[in-house]
Amino acid sequence: MNKKLHALLLISVFVVATCGLIYELIAGTLASYLLGDSVTQFSTIIGVYLFSMGIGSWVSKYFEKNIISWFIQLEILVGIVGGTSSTILFLVFENIASFRIILYSLVGITGILVGLEIPLLMRILKDRYEFKDLVSKVFTFDYIGALLASLVFPLLLIPYLGLVKTSYLVGILNVAVALIVCVSFKKEIKAAIYLQTSAVISILALLAGFVYAGVITNFSESLTYADTIIYSKSTPYQRIILTKKGKVLRLFLNGNLQFSSDDEYRYHEALVHPGLQALPNARNVLVMGGGDGLAVREILKYPNIQSVTLVDLDKGMTGLFKSNRMLLSLNKSSLLSPKVKVINADAFTWLRQDKKKFDFMVIDFPDPSNYSVGKLYTNSFYKLAKGVLAPGGIMVIQATSPYVAPKSFWTVDTTLRSVGLHTIPYHNYVPSFGEWGYIMATENPVYKKPAVFLPGMRFVTKESLDLMFYFPKDMAKVKTEVNKLNNQVLVKYFEDEWSSVL
Amino acid sequence: MSGRPFYKSAGLINGLGRRSFLFKAGLVTTGIFLNGCIRKLNPNSAYKSIKGNIKGPNAKAGHILRDKLPLPTPTGIREVKTLIIGSGISGLSAARWLKKHGHHDFELLELEDHVGGNSHSGQNGISAYPLGAHYITIANNEDTLLTGFLQDCDVITGFENNLPVYNEYYLCFDPEERLLINGQWQEGIVPDFGLHENDRAQIKKFFALIDELKKAKGSDGKYAFDIPIDNSSADDRYRALDRVTFKEYLHQQNLTSVYLLWYLNYCCKDDYGQKIDKVSAWAGIHYFASRRGKAANAESNAVLTWPEGNGWLTKKLAAEVGDHLRKGNMCYSISYNQQGKVVAGIYDITRGTTSTIIADNVIMATPQFVNQRLFKDTINRPIDYTGLNYSPWFIANITTNRLPQAKGAGLCWDNVAYDTPSVGYVNAGQQTVKLANEKRVLTWYLPLCDHEPRVARLAAYTRTYEQWLDMMMPELEYMHPGITAAIENVECWVWGHGMIYPAVNYIWGQNRKAAQQPINNNLFFAHTDLSGVSIFEEAFHQGIHAANQVLAVYGKQPNK
Repeated sequence: MNKKLHALLLISVFVVATCGLIYELIAGTLASYLLGDSVTQFSTIIGVYLFSMGIGSWVSKYFEKNIISWFIQLEILVGIVGGTSSTILFLVFENIASFRIILYSLVGITGILVGLEIPLLMRILKDRYEFKDLVSKVFTFDYIGALLASLVFPLLLIPYLGLVKTSYLVGILNVAVALIVCVSFKKEIKAAIYLQTSAVISILALLAGFVYAGVITNFSESLTYADTIIYSKSTPYQRIILTKKGKVLRLFLNGNLQFSSDDEYRYHEALVHPGLQALPNARNVLVMGGGDGLAVREILKYPNIQSVTLVDLDKGMTGLFKSNRMLLSLNKSSLLSPKVKVINADAFTWLRQDKKKFDFMVIDFPDPSNYSVGKLYTNSFYKLAKGVLAPGGIMVIQATSPYVAPKSFWTVDTTLRSVGLHTIPYHNYVPSFGEWGYIMATENPVYKKPAVFLPGMRFVTKESLDLMFYFPKDMAKVKTEVNKLNNQVLVKYFEDEWSSVL
Repeated sequence: MSGRPFYKSAGLINGLGRRSFLFKAGLVTTGIFLNGCIRKLNPNSAYKSIKGNIKGPNAKAGHILRDKLPLPTPTGIREVKTLIIGSGISGLSAARWLKKHGHHDFELLELEDHVGGNSHSGQNGISAYPLGAHYITIANNEDTLLTGFLQDCDVITGFENNLPVYNEYYLCFDPEERLLINGQWQEGIVPDFGLHENDRAQIKKFFALIDELKKAKGSDGKYAFDIPIDNSSADDRYRALDRVTFKEYLHQQNLTSVYLLWYLNYCCKDDYGQKIDKVSAWAGIHYFASRRGKAANAESNAVLTWPEGNGWLTKKLAAEVGDHLRKGNMCYSISYNQQGKVVAGIYDITRGTTSTIIADNVIMATPQFVNQRLFKDTINRPIDYTGLNYSPWFIANITTNRLPQAKGAGLCWDNVAYDTPSVGYVNAGQQTVKLANEKRVLTWYLPLCDHEPRVARLAAYTRTYEQWLDMMMPELEYMHPGITAAIENVECWVWGHGMIYPAVNYIWGQNRKAAQQPINNNLFFAHTDLSGVSIFEEAFHQGIHAANQVLAVYGKQPNK
């Protein structure tokens, strides 16, 4: 065996070490993205990983013959498992229960395989070096590899490639090592052709994964979102994206921010309490839209509420907010409350059928940025909503920003009035959104400002309410048309007003 | 026949016409056949994933009439006071009117297994969809018969300041129309994007002219252009427009912009199935100038539509008619007995038996080309049947799981591409309040107006499913690049005689007048080919008019 081959094997040690550490880092990062609490995640991942490497090292003694060939097969296997690991984890994240099992299994398998590599390599090299040289060389390259990994991962790989592409790239490197070793030692191993072919096929598969990684997490998307995407799913109705930066979670539907966990309380308190606090006898509440369960969380603070019916189109959305641990802690598991009934249906169609009356209604739809959603802001829709409002009841509608889009905001007001409802428009400041607007509507002009609010409010108080009801000149009422199914003026106003801002 | 030089005798013209027809028909059908053979050898694999078939009106029944196929001898005989033949909108409307006036002794016969004539509709897992007529505009306010019906079926929900309030679920949802022109989808169908100022000016001039004609009244104080057509003024200043083609008229008005002419060709194709060189100027203008409806909650000219198109109106009419209807029953002959009663030969299509109905009076709510065959050898009418021309149509209902987006305005109800053979497609799901589903049914309309109707009709019957796809897919791909892969199903429907078209001198000529005349005061006629334009409103009034003639026989004064 010549010098060249010795060098090659030592380079393999280096690559194997680098890759191994990167897999560990990927698993740790992904787990802290998806599950939060990075200290716990990293500690447990590193623990499981190192322990698994120990198992691998122990198992290595049972490999007796064809060690080079085993080494090559292991390398290919590490490349495949490690390369696809982050994709698998992204895909299974929805189901939180099995996510942990799969996460630790993948970490464990990778650890065992990586743990096998160094002992096997040392045995391949054992007849070619003196023991002291061997140990010195192998571990030197091992630790240099580790240093490289720990620098390259945060500084180059994650910023430029993202987690998924990084995994595939590292997987490809692993298998490339296998292929090179295989080609170089083809005289010493049996079935070299078979091994070479598997290596080539694996590289192609990983390459495909690398190229199509965009489809999995939409790489371009991760560039448009400032924060790390920790969850992304296309349902039949919308694209749900959850991002995380520090402790702040943000939810985007079709690219539009729905809430930011650090200031959503301002939005949801303002949406619910001015209305519901004024209805001490309210029993039954209807929430349309709001599949995040955050409005429901506020509603459930009132002991007089007996039932909350939540109508949200998207099962993917309500399912996520019923199962994800981080999201459950945000909405206080509101959607799992026995008082809450979740109905996944189209609100317009559902409302045309239902006859039950509600004391309080929250209409919290996405902004009217397209003709489909625009229908949910029409006089026809509000007529139906009025039909299910109990006598003396209040409905509240999220009505976009009266500062950025005054014409849109006041169109909602005009439209509500056109079906014979009395309106009480108000607004507050939500840092993530800017100045935001809501409109309460009642059948008779009965609304009285509540004198006291529930304890524990962080934003809504009697004093803040006075400010919320006051519209300064720059948001003052403007004359608009009624939004109807056959004119959809709101969508046009909304597009005009927001396009000048965004 | 007026206006024809004397030396061209009718016989000669027919002789030449027949020979040239046979020649053209031979050429066209051979072409299609050969193309079909080539296609079989070399199928377009891009369309492999598209499923569907071709349907149309009951062809077997048509052949029985046309080819006089032998039928079994009649086994039964029954008597009714009034018999209505044909349950298109005219027949349904006549039946509804009889019932409304307490005249219950009538039968309504339909050869198909469904009612509605060319307002037929279909349904699949995604949506209901039209197979023919698919919208009406809001009614002219003085047309109280129509507004009355629209109130009956909750299309008009009430009145505000004397103006009807239309049901907002039926007023066409916004966005309504778009046009693919100069590489971009613009809002609205009147060409605008990328046009030269001269073209814009001409389009403006045309609409100013129309605005004048909308208000114009003749010396008899009637509107120059009205619905129903027979309410229009008799003033020859306007009726003279029926004696020139729309094309000639536009030329006389110095309206020559290619964009304007394309638009008017599109409109005539859309309403009449023919281009401006085939329809009269009077009819061409009627399309624009006859609609003056005002509503409390919609713009003038606003469109009313349903997923199943006018199939929805059909259902409402049929619901009022109830059990008077006999489907699958074809009338194959009409004659008089010695008592002067009308004898109708009826073929029960499902049972394969025939029977005889003896009726005091009959409303023929059938097109005249059918009546010609039913009356053959029995009843002579002073009509030149060759003067009644029917446009063939091809309609495709396309189920697609995706609509590749293009530059400009998004999906509308009516979607048209500039300078293409079809008149575009409508989104069958426009009137759904549900959030948009990616799966949609699009109804694509192609008037077959590139050859004379007889030739085009024969060609249409000859074409295979794959050949229809070959005709439509390039245009759809032009509108939405990449759509082929997204299309799951295409249901084709061929209307051989889709609708009457108002050829020169038809609307105010002798022929139409003669065809409207009852025979012996017990054989009455109701069909849009007696109006000259095939629109719901005309059919609706045709039915009422004939029903009133029947009621008058019994001395009943119809409610006005």
